[in-house]
Amino acid sequence: MPTSEETALSTPAAQYVPGHASAGGIAARARGLTKAYGSGETTVLALDSVDVDIARGRFTAVMGPSGSGKSTLMHCLAGLDNVSAGQVWLGDTEITGLREKELTRLRRDRIGFMFQSFNLIPTLNALENITLPMDIAGKKPDEKWLDQVIDTLGLRDRLKHRPSQLSGGQQQRVACARALASRPELIFADEPTGNLDSRAGLEVLGFLREAVDQLGQTVVMVTHDPGAAAHSDLVLFLADGRIVDEMERPTAEAVLERMKRFDSLRGPSDGDGSAASADVNLDKD
Amino acid sequence: MLKATLRSFLAHKGRLLLSALAIVLSVAFVAGSLIFSDTVTRTFDRLFASTSADVTVEAKDDLSSQVPTGAAQTVPAALVDRVAKVAGVASAHADVGVENITVVDSKNKSVGPTTGAPTIASDWFLTDRSPVKLTSGHAPRGGGEALLDADTADKKDVKIGDTLTVLAQPGTFKVEIVGIATFTTTNPGAALVFLDPKTAANQLLGSADKATGISANAAKGVSDTVLKQRVAAVVGTGSYEVRTADEQAKSAAADLGGFLDVIKYVMLGFAGIAVLVGVFLIVNTFSMLIAQRTRELGLLRALGADRRQVRRSVLTEAILLGLVGSTLGLAAGIGLAAGLIKLMSAFGMNLKTTEMVVGWGTPVAAYAVGVGVTFVAAYLPARRAAGVSPMAALADAEIAEIGRPLRTRAIVGSVLGVAGAAALVGCATATKTASSASFLGLGVVLTLLATVVAGPLLVRPVIRVLGAAFPALFGSIGRMSQRNALRNPRRTGATAAALMVGLALVGDMSVASASMSKSFDEQIDKTLGADFVIQNANFVPFSKEVTDKVRATEGVGLVVRQRFAPLAVRLPDGKRIETTASGYDDGADEVAHVTYAQGDTQAALAPGAIGMDVDFAKDHQVRLGDTIPVEFPAGQKTELKVTALTDQASADGFGMQGGLFFGIATVEKYVPGGQDSSLYVNAASGTAPDQLRKRLDTTLDPYPQVQVRDLADYKKLVHDQIAVLLYLVYALLGLAIVIAVLGVVNTLALSVVERTREIGLLRAIGLARRQLRRMIRLESVVIAVFGAVLGLALGLVWGVCTQQVLALQGMDALAVPWATIVEVVVGSAVVGVVAALLPALRASRMNVLAAIAHE
Repeated sequence: MPTSEETALSTPAAQYVPGHASAGGIAARARGLTKAYGSGETTVLALDSVDVDIARGRFTAVMGPSGSGKSTLMHCLAGLDNVSAGQVWLGDTEITGLREKELTRLRRDRIGFMFQSFNLIPTLNALENITLPMDIAGKKPDEKWLDQVIDTLGLRDRLKHRPSQLSGGQQQRVACARALASRPELIFADEPTGNLDSRAGLEVLGFLREAVDQLGQTVVMVTHDPGAAAHSDLVLFLADGRIVDEMERPTAEAVLERMKRFDSLRGPSDGDGSAASADVNLDKD
Repeated sequence: MLKATLRSFLAHKGRLLLSALAIVLSVAFVAGSLIFSDTVTRTFDRLFASTSADVTVEAKDDLSSQVPTGAAQTVPAALVDRVAKVAGVASAHADVGVENITVVDSKNKSVGPTTGAPTIASDWFLTDRSPVKLTSGHAPRGGGEALLDADTADKKDVKIGDTLTVLAQPGTFKVEIVGIATFTTTNPGAALVFLDPKTAANQLLGSADKATGISANAAKGVSDTVLKQRVAAVVGTGSYEVRTADEQAKSAAADLGGFLDVIKYVMLGFAGIAVLVGVFLIVNTFSMLIAQRTRELGLLRALGADRRQVRRSVLTEAILLGLVGSTLGLAAGIGLAAGLIKLMSAFGMNLKTTEMVVGWGTPVAAYAVGVGVTFVAAYLPARRAAGVSPMAALADAEIAEIGRPLRTRAIVGSVLGVAGAAALVGCATATKTASSASFLGLGVVLTLLATVVAGPLLVRPVIRVLGAAFPALFGSIGRMSQRNALRNPRRTGATAAALMVGLALVGDMSVASASMSKSFDEQIDKTLGADFVIQNANFVPFSKEVTDKVRATEGVGLVVRQRFAPLAVRLPDGKRIETTASGYDDGADEVAHVTYAQGDTQAALAPGAIGMDVDFAKDHQVRLGDTIPVEFPAGQKTELKVTALTDQASADGFGMQGGLFFGIATVEKYVPGGQDSSLYVNAASGTAPDQLRKRLDTTLDPYPQVQVRDLADYKKLVHDQIAVLLYLVYALLGLAIVIAVLGVVNTLALSVVERTREIGLLRAIGLARRQLRRMIRLESVVIAVFGAVLGLALGLVWGVCTQQVLALQGMDALAVPWATIVEVVVGSAVVGVVAALLPALRASRMNVLAAIAHE
């Protein structure tokens, strides 16, 4: 766990003291984080020397146009992808340089995940999916906490259902419960509302908000939907592999405005071959 | 459309690789066995055609006994003069050549081949057709001198000047090796000893007036066929067989080919298993390919391809696969044949790989099997592909495949199953061997089909049970692997079916052989009363000298000789049956416990009397006191009175149909010159069996081919003979398993690809590589064990029914080799682990990010 001495806050995101009682310290941190694809002349920088601190007990959204490197940032912070240069810490553990086995354990024990689609194992029922990370680790789930999570997400009467028997929104709620169940230090949500209709999407965002406010969790959400970003405490704007701006207590309109500004700024460079190829290359993530 | 087919074939070549391997294996066995037997046949045809005289006269072999009697069939030596006088005969020679001998060196070690090939002693008569030539030393010049063939001399380290002992039917004699003869043609594996002609007739046949045949060569301008007719006219065909060189070559090759035929049939058996198991693999591969490509096929249909075009496209792919597999299989078959030929030379049969014969029939058979099997196996999947609706281009393919109900399978499976069960009940209740066996065959085929068809229906209930402990033992990893195996019952069922077929056969054969062993044990315990049985290997008779020496051994009490006689009996129901009867000495009651329905041993062994099995008698309307006509070899006929009917479970096998027996005097009278096949020996009172055994061993030291066996040894001998059958079955099992493993690998590899995203997700949320590998391994194990359990269950049912057929042959004990069955189940789990190695490795190396990638 990070200590209170952990105060090297250099990104704008951390210049404001979070307004939550449970907040304090840094959940994850990156310095000079660089991720390059390809080599030589065809090298494409997905992340270009990014410094970022993710404050504990807050709901951080990462926004950016497609190809901005937001998913890559999440993958690198979560130890799913290796970095080309720079360092990443989860709490006070430096995860850059960890071996595959240690990274796997770290993801299992300290990080929760939600993805856009294919979040659940089709052969397991809802409850089995929720407790899967702990089962894999061979740990007993904390029953009280588990009950609280299940009730918060309203899944009590869906526990014996298989994913194929659940709606998209329900599936995403199960994924949310799974991410929360092991009480991880950090939850990464990659476009969690991307595949949902607006009502189900709102519901899921509400739950993530609740996880932060009531359960004291830390959530990092990658999204390109200003409406979704508006549910967060802080929005980081990514463009061309750099953090270009941030916004406290965002509203959908403000985020949209900011995005439009980036687009108009980026507009002239759209014809640029390198920017186009970066888009193409990053489409796959 | 053809272009699309070719593209698709090439695109899936990795996936088709394992199917191709199955085709290669089956074609290789078909081609290999054909090439091997063609090569052997051609080689021996040439050998015998080039070494046979133009016309040969031999004693008529009218009762070819399956049980060797030890007697050599002879003709009067004087016949040569009559043959020589026939117009058109340039030269005639009285041949002496016998196989009923044993040759031992000064240390009493056998000099003959250990492979079952004969040791042949003959007269040294060199012609331009002789298969050998003298390469060192000199020709034998009278008694006490002999030549040995170079290969045997080499192998057994015999040199010129060494003394060998020849144990011949008329008596034992010693010879000094004075020369070495080397084969100029292919050595068929026999050991050859040459004596000078006069010595040969005297020592081997017991009289200078006898010969084993007359060979005559034609004068210029006289054809073999013409000469044969002329010779036949002179000697008469009533008691002589006259053959041309070609006919002689065929007959000789056929005699020798017996054991080579066994190799051929074993190989074809392997090919059959490979084809049978391969079919499942191919069906499964194509089904999976089509399931994977449902969208693509739907698109083709949406673009206007009709059903026939889609079906043809899939079948074209199958034919391409068959062609590739057959071609590789043919090449592998040539390699296999070359290997077999090499193996034969290790047994002393010098075939040359350079003279390998690939007849036109071999590639035809290879391609017919390879392409035919692939085509047939791909037909159903192709039809299913044609049934893909254009809408499938838009829908999720995999779900549609899984969701199809199994109702048709349930109905067809139940109908076949009920019919099969009825046939097996018929088998168990039939009282005639023939009808019982055919019911068994029918039942086996039907129940196998039923299990294959209904396999997917059994997946759920059986794997639920088999994998029940997985969640408890391996947590969620166990749970996921169990449920993954249940995910696509069709696929799991078909994958397991490949293993099931092989293991069902093993289950059946192991029950049958265990039951046979147990039955024989019980029978030996019940019937054998002698302290010792003295026998040659393979029931080949031994010389009279052995009998005399045994009788003279201190402490020997009763000795009962057993001698075989080939005969034909004409029975009251009008049937003429050729079989082999046994002759016994008086006192047989002391060494064997025989129960009689009517009569007794004494009556059966009396002069002019015969005993037989009561069931055989009943079947052929023979009653006690009937007199039946009996034919012996060389046209000797007599009538014997039925004086005893035995009532006991006796095995009809081994060419001894009817259990006919009489006094040994009858054999001596009608089959003169025969040798004893077994001696039943009791210790004299006051001599302990252990003590006698030592003495008998000493007595028989100069006769390495003869063994002394007590009850336990005798049982072991029988067990060993049954074990040979079992080894063959295990070899077949090995092959079946290799192909089944390919099938499991295939299925798992595809599942891994299909579940890429799922696996990635698991890895993302913290499943370690090791755990992922274990998950796939467990799935593989549960599929393999499912196949094994199904196969063994089927095999046990078959085995019990097979035993019912055996019971009609007198083998009425049922034994289930539980240890073997447990071993097979454990073995199948190991198979599962092995099959999972590569797919698991591949899954664990998969990129984690693949799962969380957006569409």
